[in-house]
Amino acid sequence: MDAAAAHAAGAPAGEQQAAAPRAERLNQGVHHQLNLEGMRARAVGLYKAISRIIDDFNNIARTTPGGSPKWQDVLGQFSMVSMELFNIVEDIKKVNKGFVVYPRNVNAENALILPVMLSSKLLPEMEIEETTKREQLLSGITNLPVPSQMEKLKARIDMIASACETAERVIAECRKTYGLGTRQGANLGPTLDKAQAAKIQEQEGLLRAAVNYGEGLRVPGDQRQPHSSLPSHLMEVLPSGDGAHNFGVYPKNTSTFTPNGVNTQGNAMQASGGLGRSAPSPGTAGTPNFENVSTPPMPYANSPRSGTNMMNTPSPQQHLTPQQQRQKLMQASQQQQLHAQQQQQQQLRPSAASLLAQNTVSQLQDLQGQSQQKLQVPGQQQMQYSQAQALSQFQNRQMQAARMQPGMSQSQLNQGNQLRSHLGQFTGAANSAMFTAAQASSNSQMMANIPGTMQSLQSQSILPQMQFGLTGGHPQRSHPTQMMNDQMFGMGSTNTSSMMGMQQQQQQQQQQGVYGNMQGGGQNLQQQGMVGLQNQQNQLQNQMQNPNFPQQRQQNQQ
Amino acid sequence: MECVVQGIIETQHVEALEVLLQGLSGVPKERVRVHELCLKSGPNLGVVPSEVRLLCDLAQPTPSWTIRHVGGAMRGAGAEQISVLVRTIVESKASNNVLRYFYGIGYKLDHEVLKVGFAFRFQRGAQFTVTVTSANKMPKLHATDEAVAVTPGIQLVEITAPAAANNYNDVASSVTAFCEYLAPLLHLSKPGNSTGIVLTAGAAAASLMSSGGAKTL
Repeated sequence: MDAAAAHAAGAPAGEQQAAAPRAERLNQGVHHQLNLEGMRARAVGLYKAISRIIDDFNNIARTTPGGSPKWQDVLGQFSMVSMELFNIVEDIKKVNKGFVVYPRNVNAENALILPVMLSSKLLPEMEIEETTKREQLLSGITNLPVPSQMEKLKARIDMIASACETAERVIAECRKTYGLGTRQGANLGPTLDKAQAAKIQEQEGLLRAAVNYGEGLRVPGDQRQPHSSLPSHLMEVLPSGDGAHNFGVYPKNTSTFTPNGVNTQGNAMQASGGLGRSAPSPGTAGTPNFENVSTPPMPYANSPRSGTNMMNTPSPQQHLTPQQQRQKLMQASQQQQLHAQQQQQQQLRPSAASLLAQNTVSQLQDLQGQSQQKLQVPGQQQMQYSQAQALSQFQNRQMQAARMQPGMSQSQLNQGNQLRSHLGQFTGAANSAMFTAAQASSNSQMMANIPGTMQSLQSQSILPQMQFGLTGGHPQRSHPTQMMNDQMFGMGSTNTSSMMGMQQQQQQQQQQGVYGNMQGGGQNLQQQGMVGLQNQQNQLQNQMQNPNFPQQRQQNQQ
Repeated sequence: MECVVQGIIETQHVEALEVLLQGLSGVPKERVRVHELCLKSGPNLGVVPSEVRLLCDLAQPTPSWTIRHVGGAMRGAGAEQISVLVRTIVESKASNNVLRYFYGIGYKLDHEVLKVGFAFRFQRGAQFTVTVTSANKMPKLHATDEAVAVTPGIQLVEITAPAAANNYNDVASSVTAFCEYLAPLLHLSKPGNSTGIVLTAGAAAASLMSSGGAKTL
């Protein structure tokens, strides 16, 4: 090997240069020497590495009982070694072109080697090896003709090929089941068909969208009814019932508090009930409760209604200026107020009174509230009245005698009657249908109670008279209670008596049917009157255009 | 700030994932049952609505509330190269009346979800929190007892790790490295990207769940 290498080194050097043989050769020689030296170094290094690895294997096999080197490490080292060997061989192949082994002449040195180098005969050991293999292969068929030998050999080859294929298949299947990658790297493992993959993709999209963005979890507002029983961690957190959930709609409570002032009279009652259930906030108890304050009945000592929630005493924060109150009253809608008052009445006195009665009562309440202030003591009341009052009182007494409500004391009735008369005046004009109904009911009573009076005439005349209480020229005022309130305010401020005097003259008989319900109204009236309303009185006076009662007008214009 | 990745796993393999996480983390698992309420601010609080999430931990005997605000994610070329999502997060414990407070200042309930599952919290280069939960929706408002899974067959796996502005790269690489360990069972990606399931997860799960081949100590 070394001789050949030296020859090789020398030959190209000799070939390539004709002149300057020494220096050139040295250069070329150096160049090749470097290659050679590098090759040698690398070959030696590789040899050492392999020997080291073998030693490691032996050590591991020796020291660790039953242990074996980790297959991964072994493979890694083997790959390193084989790569190194491959590189060396490649490099040598590159340089091989420059090396040609030809002895130029036969001399004593190479006479013995040359024939060996030139011969194509196998080396003896190689020859022996081949012979034995041939014998093994052709052991049973050497006596057959050559084509049959070939066929037999082909058959053997096919069998071996099929066995290899089977083995490959088994290995691949095992790889699949154990999740190992195939040798080729392509994952031929379990695949999903398109439908499954699409379904999984869709599910994944749903889940990710739901968790990250809340898609698919939003419940429309109308379906957001709170569960009947909140889970424990939310029970004490969220206020229960109304006013609790804030779903883009302002809490239920405030929805009832419309800017419509008078409307809140009844709704305020409802709302105050609602507020009473949950913790009332100061805000919600603001504006609407002003109306509430304006009409709650004064707690009347002997009234059966004292226990109801109508008895809201005005709180300091609910003070309302006259202007505001007037505006609120002006904005009232009839139905709401009617309804409210009806509710009030129902709460207070579930009597069999007709609708008119309810209406009247509410009005009477207001009136009574106003007048009650001054009517605390029956004696004092009478002193405040004008001269007409004496007549009215007489008439009242008549009615009292005629109609005693159960459970009502005489004084109450007296007071109630006085107020009711005024209220009755207002009531009928508001709703003529109800009025006629009341008339019908009260007429009979009138007949019984007030002998000697022209009831029919009175009843007919009452109609315009009752209208007096409202704006003249409007037989059916759409806001009876509103008018009531206005007038009551006017009454309440100063001259309750004057108003009452007027009305009593006209309406006493009318109100028998509704007397039973009017006690609370008186208290209401009083309350209204408390909120000093001079201006309203003036306005009320303006509304009274009925020329039939100039006297009253003058009285109102005090 | 936090680094977060999400992935999905089929419900049948959740047990195997639990075994794997148990082995990787070394800490016992924690039960997770969180009622998450997502509130959106009303118009009175500005033109752009803001979102805040209230998490009520129902796994403890006394429920505890947490406020969580999820900010915007990091954008840009640098963010594209990182395989985790880096986003700002603000979290705070709160008292019981946090819900009432937010309602009071004008927030409205946008949606709610109940997450049930388990979680592992451990330190591995960063403070990891790995949660495996099934997202449930409630047919009636706040009816946590009647919650139904949004996707019964698939559960969500989320890995989060808190980070700061100066170390989010390291945290991101830690998270990515950890995700490699979970590769046999699930693919993880940024929350907006869909990953699909690992097809060979069944085999991996089988090997995780099997007790054969292990040397008894």
